[in-house]
Amino acid sequence: MTISIGTAVRFTVNGVPVVAEGPGSRRLLDVLRDDLGLTGTKEGCGEGECGACSVLLDGRVVNSCLVPIGQVAGGDVRTVEGLATDGRLGALQEAFLQGGAVQCGFCTPGMLASAAAFLASRTPPTDEAVREAIAGNLCRCTGYTKIVEAIQVAAGAEVPVERSEPPEAPTWGAPFASPERPASGEPATAPPSLRVPVRPPADARRPDLVAVRTLPEALHRLAEGGYRPIAGGTDLMVGLEAGTADPSVPLLDLWALDELRGIRLEGSGLVLGALTTYAELRASPVVREHLPAVARMAGGVGAVQIQNRGTLGGNLVNASPAGDTLPLLLAADAEIVVQSVRGERAIPATAFWTGYRRTALAPDELVVGVRVPLPPARHVVFRKIGTRRAQSIAKASVAVAWRTDESGAWRDVRVALGAVAERAIRAPETEAVLEGRVPARDVADEAARVVAREITPIDDVRSTAEYRRAAVARVLRRIVLEGGDAVAEAKLA
Amino acid sequence: MPTTERRVAPRAIVDSRPPLAGRVAGRSVPRRDATARLTGQARYVADLELAGTWHGVTVRATEPRARLLGIDLDPAFDWSRVVVLTAKDVPGDNVVQFAVDDQPVLAIGEVRHVGEPVALIAAPDLPTALAARDHVVLRTEPLPPVLDPMASECVFAHFEIAKGDPDAALAGADLVIEGTYTVGRQEQLYLETQGMLAVPREDGGVTVHGSMQCPYYVHAALRRALALDDAHLSVVQSETGGGFGGKEEFPSGLAIHAAMLAMRSGRPVRMIYDRHEDLVATTKRHPAIIRSRMGISRDGRLVAQDVDVVMDAGAYATLSHVVLSRGTIHAGGPYACPNVRIRSRAVMTNTPPSGAFRGFGAPQVEFAAEMQVNRAAEALGISPAALRERWAYRVGDVTATGQVLRDSVAAVTVLERAVGASRFEEVRAAAAGARAARGAGDGVAPERASAADPRGRAGAGREHLAHGIGVALGWHGAGFTGSGEANLASVVALEVTADGRIVLYTDSTEIGQGSRTVLPQLVAEELGVDLDLVHVAPTDTSIVPNSGPTVASRTTMVVGGLLVTAARRLRAEVEARTGRPFAASYLDDVRGHGATRVTERFAGYPGIAWDEPSHLGDAYPAYGWTAVVAEVDVDLDTGEVAVRRVVSADDVGRAVNPLLATGQIEGGTLQGVGYATIEEARVDGGRLLNDRLATCVVPTSMDAPEIESILVEEPFSGAPHGAKGLGELPMDVPAPAVVAAIQDATGAWIHDLPASPERILAALREREAGIGGREAAR
Repeated sequence: MTISIGTAVRFTVNGVPVVAEGPGSRRLLDVLRDDLGLTGTKEGCGEGECGACSVLLDGRVVNSCLVPIGQVAGGDVRTVEGLATDGRLGALQEAFLQGGAVQCGFCTPGMLASAAAFLASRTPPTDEAVREAIAGNLCRCTGYTKIVEAIQVAAGAEVPVERSEPPEAPTWGAPFASPERPASGEPATAPPSLRVPVRPPADARRPDLVAVRTLPEALHRLAEGGYRPIAGGTDLMVGLEAGTADPSVPLLDLWALDELRGIRLEGSGLVLGALTTYAELRASPVVREHLPAVARMAGGVGAVQIQNRGTLGGNLVNASPAGDTLPLLLAADAEIVVQSVRGERAIPATAFWTGYRRTALAPDELVVGVRVPLPPARHVVFRKIGTRRAQSIAKASVAVAWRTDESGAWRDVRVALGAVAERAIRAPETEAVLEGRVPARDVADEAARVVAREITPIDDVRSTAEYRRAAVARVLRRIVLEGGDAVAEAKLA
Repeated sequence: MPTTERRVAPRAIVDSRPPLAGRVAGRSVPRRDATARLTGQARYVADLELAGTWHGVTVRATEPRARLLGIDLDPAFDWSRVVVLTAKDVPGDNVVQFAVDDQPVLAIGEVRHVGEPVALIAAPDLPTALAARDHVVLRTEPLPPVLDPMASECVFAHFEIAKGDPDAALAGADLVIEGTYTVGRQEQLYLETQGMLAVPREDGGVTVHGSMQCPYYVHAALRRALALDDAHLSVVQSETGGGFGGKEEFPSGLAIHAAMLAMRSGRPVRMIYDRHEDLVATTKRHPAIIRSRMGISRDGRLVAQDVDVVMDAGAYATLSHVVLSRGTIHAGGPYACPNVRIRSRAVMTNTPPSGAFRGFGAPQVEFAAEMQVNRAAEALGISPAALRERWAYRVGDVTATGQVLRDSVAAVTVLERAVGASRFEEVRAAAAGARAARGAGDGVAPERASAADPRGRAGAGREHLAHGIGVALGWHGAGFTGSGEANLASVVALEVTADGRIVLYTDSTEIGQGSRTVLPQLVAEELGVDLDLVHVAPTDTSIVPNSGPTVASRTTMVVGGLLVTAARRLRAEVEARTGRPFAASYLDDVRGHGATRVTERFAGYPGIAWDEPSHLGDAYPAYGWTAVVAEVDVDLDTGEVAVRRVVSADDVGRAVNPLLATGQIEGGTLQGVGYATIEEARVDGGRLLNDRLATCVVPTSMDAPEIESILVEEPFSGAPHGAKGLGELPMDVPAPAVVAAIQDATGAWIHDLPASPERILAALREREAGIGGREAAR
């Protein structure tokens, strides 16, 4: 099926069937606001950072500015307009109202979406859990205190909070009353109707999006050339909006390729599908048992909205030196499995990233998954030094893998680093220092000295070369001293 | 469903004085506009829809300074469906009206900063407007920019206030603490970007709807630049998604842009900045460099302060002289001192103009003042809380401007509350113990720490985290500085309409802070009627009078006070006619007498005298007082800081709505915590480096501490309801409290904001090297 200009995408919004027109890369946000008049969903940044545009897509909270409308086909979207029933506030809204959790209101609709997803998850509403659930929704007014409390109240309300009549502010006139308002029979306060379909203006920033249903079809298209694959869109949609991604290349939508999803044990290794999301990685019992560092890493990517959409394969191919998955896969001796119409090959992670945002992938090849060996008694530790504690891009990251022999010495040591060179790298000289040594203080100090020499960090908008060098050395030193996962657990979580 | 802890009790503590008379004011009623915001029905400017609306975009300068030789339109582009305007198209004066007439609506002759508006484009749809913008070429010739504020010879404003003989006092002091402190630019980061919708009218006038704090500022700017009279202009505030000062002066220029395009195209035109444009083009908090010398006697008395403040105003003056004035007056901190000199200047650089941001000059200087007090306490070997208690202003003290603090001075009270609630001394003692246990005295060297551990391996795995606690004390002048309020002569009106509604009229804007709830509460209280009987007129300059701008923590205090007085007059007038209580008789009065409207104009607070040229006298009618205690964990490997808990005690005079008041404190506190730790809009070569939200970071819910707010109510006798300013107060001193806590944890003083991991780690390494060096020398 090809979605292009003039082709309709059908889905439901708050239970009402709707149709959207235009290129498949149009943002769900624009369709909601411009086509459907559902302006409750707000745009705060257009880059998936603020969460003001959060909605529920098939029950998961997503940034609607990062969702291409073609991927919503057949889906169910819930917006803030669908929260109140029969003109009465729901328990969550009531808790926000009574608890003073609303100030300017601009973050509120997105905040409610994240809160609703959290409540539906039935996660115990500890302070920490609630804060994590809304970490993808910036609020600049409240300091979050009253929002967290309101969500806890709503979660704890086993019987619905006693509902008061909404204290409707007496309005002196219509909210948008001006002499210029075009005369119409409609009252100014009429709820927005789902006017569909609307033909949007031609927009050079929105390429077509070609959906494929099977992997062979995807590979065939790639062999034809002229497409750019898109998975969860958490990077590509930002690039299109910011003008840094070429909008003239049609997108090849992989989102429906279920064969690229899934996490399974295979032989003595773990196989992760390329379309596996961070949310799936962090929730997977298999990952948590066999490679807990990956689950922890996934929990530290962006926030819930990004974790619900961002994929392992996307992160690998995006090839940012700061990508969170890269050092871990390097340290864990992973192989990247790629396919094309020519067949399948496995590329060792050490050979996959060839330069700044460059990979060993041929133009017709697609990453289908990652194989991670699971040798017995191996430890893998990952530590990200970010700009803040959620929604954060790494200033530097450190992954270390080893197994401890009978004498207590480290064997098969791997040290991999992110954001300290033009690509994610292994640090062989540092590994050599640690290989076969018992991780005592002198060894840790030596490893710290060597790693500081071995890396080539730069000054950029997120940090400085000096800081990266020092922080990486000290974190590595700490990991060696701790000799285990304890350090990752005790980091500022 | 799992059983869960249910915490309904708000964390806020209200200092228990009897509430205001009663039923409505002083109560935590939910905000009246929350329902619309919770259901997606609240209409912000980007949500307003008019058929046939065009989209406007701005062509901006890309160089910090250049001669503007010409503006070329690429002939390959189809310009027939597009309106393009430049400086020559400004109908009136090419000036964005503010205190100083130096900022053009559109640049002419020379561009003075990256992002300066040079031309405007409107098209029937946004993609066309954006495409057109890509086909405009600015022909320029680069000029050498001024980028270092210390080297700038262009001074927009300067002040000097002095009392006593600071030079002699410093010369005679037993201890002189000297320090230089720098604070970075801070982005307001209101969640709703700037936006305006201008609608041309058949009478040749224009109506502008938009996101703003000050409708009459916008109105005055439009009148001047468009050469229109009041009858042809209306400014309507739409729902506004946060301001924090960022929508004080900036919206005026944007409103002119949208109005020019609307009048030229004959269409409604909307201009909504995307976040990137908003970050690049709008004002930030003034970066500053503060040098301070503090003289202390042997017995621990503060005898002299000599402070020098330089603020970087950016390319245009905007309201820098007012920011600088406030910064100057607050620079000594809330401490009695007989000999004071404060000198200040705001200088031009070729960077985007600095502007209003919650605190308005005070957070910058109070950071420096508090750091000085902390270092004095360290030098004296006494508790920083105890030293503040000793030095803090009390009733009867005289400020640097010569103002006698006659009433409502709660510095000591807020300090005691915050210190008590946070168990400051206990936590501080524990932190000192932990610091000592880490080895090397108060050092932090992890090498030393692990050397002290005979196992050579980690125990609990937390020894790289250091805990610390810090305190800060602040003050904030409420309302406009000096004669400002008298000059504004703000007006409000209150009316019982002919159809029996009670309507209050003010241009004070609701920007999230709750004025649309608090002001009706005050009126309902005075009239003795139910809250929901009091209506608020739409914030439209064709309907409401000029009650002054919604800035300077003045709305509840000044405008609220006027409304209280107006309500008393209205009540008296009606009751005089009916002989019965207002609530029971006003509807009868309407039937007999018709509508009654009272107008109240601000006529000055009693006993306030100010001399603007010398900056001496009563700088503010009253001050709010704030004490903040912050607790942090510092990662000694990376310098990362987690602010765990903040207690903020704030004297607001009277809390009309404690729920909303604590909301202000919590929000301001987090902005202060962000200012302390991670927030900085970094400009290099005149260009903003972090120009996306991914890099211009502010705290998320996971970065935010647990915040406990304590409301203290020490009424201001000059206001009929006792309320003082609240909005800015909680922003003023969280930063020094956090930085003091970082020092408490690590032993390292950070003199620059933000106290970033980069700065902390550098300081830690310096200390480690120092300690290592000393030990090696032994």
